[in-house]
Amino acid sequence: MNLLEMNSICKSYRNIGIETKVLQNVTLHIKEGDYVSIIGPSGAGKSTLMAIMGCLAQPTSGEYILDGEEVGKLNDRKLSRVRNEKIGFVFQAFHLLPGVTALENVMLPIVYAKNSQGNAKERARALLAKVGLEHRLHHTPGQLSGGEQQRVTIARSLINDPRIILADEPTGNLDSKNGIQTMQTFDNLVKEGKTIILITHDPAVAQHAGRIISILDGQIASDRNLSYEEQTRPL
Amino acid sequence: MLMTLGVMIGIASLTVIVAIGDGIKIKVLDRITSLGFGPESFSVMAGAGRLFFARSQNTTSMTLEDAEDLLALPTVRLVVPRQRKSIQLINKKEFTSTRVYGVTPDWQLARGWEMKDGEFLSETDLDRSKRVIVLGATPAKKLFKDKDPVGKMVRVQNNFYEVIGLLEEKGLTESGYDPDDRALIPLTTSMTRLTHQTYLHSIKVVALKASQVPETMEAVRQILRQNHNLSVLAEDDFRFITPEGIMQRVTESEQALNRMLILVSTVSLLVGGIVIMNILLVSIRERVREIGIRRCFGARRSDITIQFLFESILVSLLGGIMGVALGLGVSFGLERLNIIPTHITMEPFILSFVFCSLIGLIFGIHPARKAAFLSPEESIRSQ
Repeated sequence: MNLLEMNSICKSYRNIGIETKVLQNVTLHIKEGDYVSIIGPSGAGKSTLMAIMGCLAQPTSGEYILDGEEVGKLNDRKLSRVRNEKIGFVFQAFHLLPGVTALENVMLPIVYAKNSQGNAKERARALLAKVGLEHRLHHTPGQLSGGEQQRVTIARSLINDPRIILADEPTGNLDSKNGIQTMQTFDNLVKEGKTIILITHDPAVAQHAGRIISILDGQIASDRNLSYEEQTRPL
Repeated sequence: MLMTLGVMIGIASLTVIVAIGDGIKIKVLDRITSLGFGPESFSVMAGAGRLFFARSQNTTSMTLEDAEDLLALPTVRLVVPRQRKSIQLINKKEFTSTRVYGVTPDWQLARGWEMKDGEFLSETDLDRSKRVIVLGATPAKKLFKDKDPVGKMVRVQNNFYEVIGLLEEKGLTESGYDPDDRALIPLTTSMTRLTHQTYLHSIKVVALKASQVPETMEAVRQILRQNHNLSVLAEDDFRFITPEGIMQRVTESEQALNRMLILVSTVSLLVGGIVIMNILLVSIRERVREIGIRRCFGARRSDITIQFLFESILVSLLGGIMGVALGLGVSFGLERLNIIPTHITMEPFILSFVFCSLIGLIFGIHPARKAAFLSPEESIRSQ
């Protein structure tokens, strides 16, 4: 059974009366535990695809089923719940709340969770320790380096134990050392059974995944599984 | 900061206004009680017209016969016919201007005013139109300093009066009205030597019981109209002054004052509210990203709305607290510097709390809704 299923998804924006088609007939299926890269040049529609996958935007037409739920038919309240419970976001620009400590940033999704666990703080602490930031719990994003900030966002994306982690150019704002470290974190998460979708324009980053889908002009240009040798393995 | 300021000024003016309103109310009430009314007494003034400041015509109609007729009423205990004139009292080189009343000996009973020294006017003084005078504390001090005035002579116009008594000092009222600034002479003396008139300025009527005041007033009206030969259509050529009547007028002016005050503070609070709304709208533009982040991690529209509403209420409450503080300071200063009497009550605190919450709520709704309905996809991408 597919965890994520997109059938002929189209998305178009209307701006001053001109319709721009960003996605055309995108069909893709992703299974639980998959490690997928979506690559393509800027303007190809990667970010729009991610917004639809992340339930941040609704497709203009087509069917999107996430974890057995037809997302295109949900109202705001239910969409928010899906985002909260099933999806973990990692952004290029980190998108941490400024002036708030790493611990509190990690706990943000719990604030909006329906049934919040009592040991939220403990879980947040454990996740920060897992990404190697147990000594940075009470630092605000401004006091953290880029790599540390990105690791905080990864911890945040995991706090509600989501079904999918959506990472949008996670290494885009990082130097190569921190980029490699971030990618290793993802690789390890996949080994634990998480489903990860990486959106990137960098082929080297994409090589970490077991499957690469390339997007061009709003359509899927290719979709192939990498052989064991092609894939960049975690060290 | 700016939003807090807007609300602060609104609430400060509200506080000051309430304090001034209460202060003036107290002052007016104070003046009324100092007019010397008990609940069972009222006055009939000669001449029709309004209560204060009015120039009344035909003030020559009320006479001693009227007073005697009124005393004959079954519900009337006492009647004090009065004349009044403001004039200079002179003792050698000292002089002072005061209100001189021509009254009957019953005046003391009607007012219940004790003597400090000497005697009050007697029936004999009245019958013989004696040139005797009872001084209030204020003219006595001005004319005789610390010396005992009883037995001394005081000149009024070209007549010398013997001081036969000194009234107990009542002291300045809060509002600055001086009830001791008066002197009393026999009514007959006043008619022949002071005013050279035989008509009365007013008659004070004391009923047996307070509850009988309305029926007594009606009876007084009938008698006076009859005595003055007024036709059915003619208006009264006299008017009543009652504690209730004054209270009613005070309440009316107080209401008018309050209406104005409420208008002023509403306008300033409205301005404060609009400022809050605009600043919130601007702050939303700055915080689009934060809203986007929260939306990505599961915040519903209602969560964002509540967050922004809460913030706007908080901001306006903060402004309210600062405004109350500022307003109290200003009120206190006005009182201290003797500019305007103020009275500080709990009202502004409660009012401002309610108002600020309402303002935060009403003017926060639009920005909060706007924030909640931003598209999460676009807001997360905005820089």
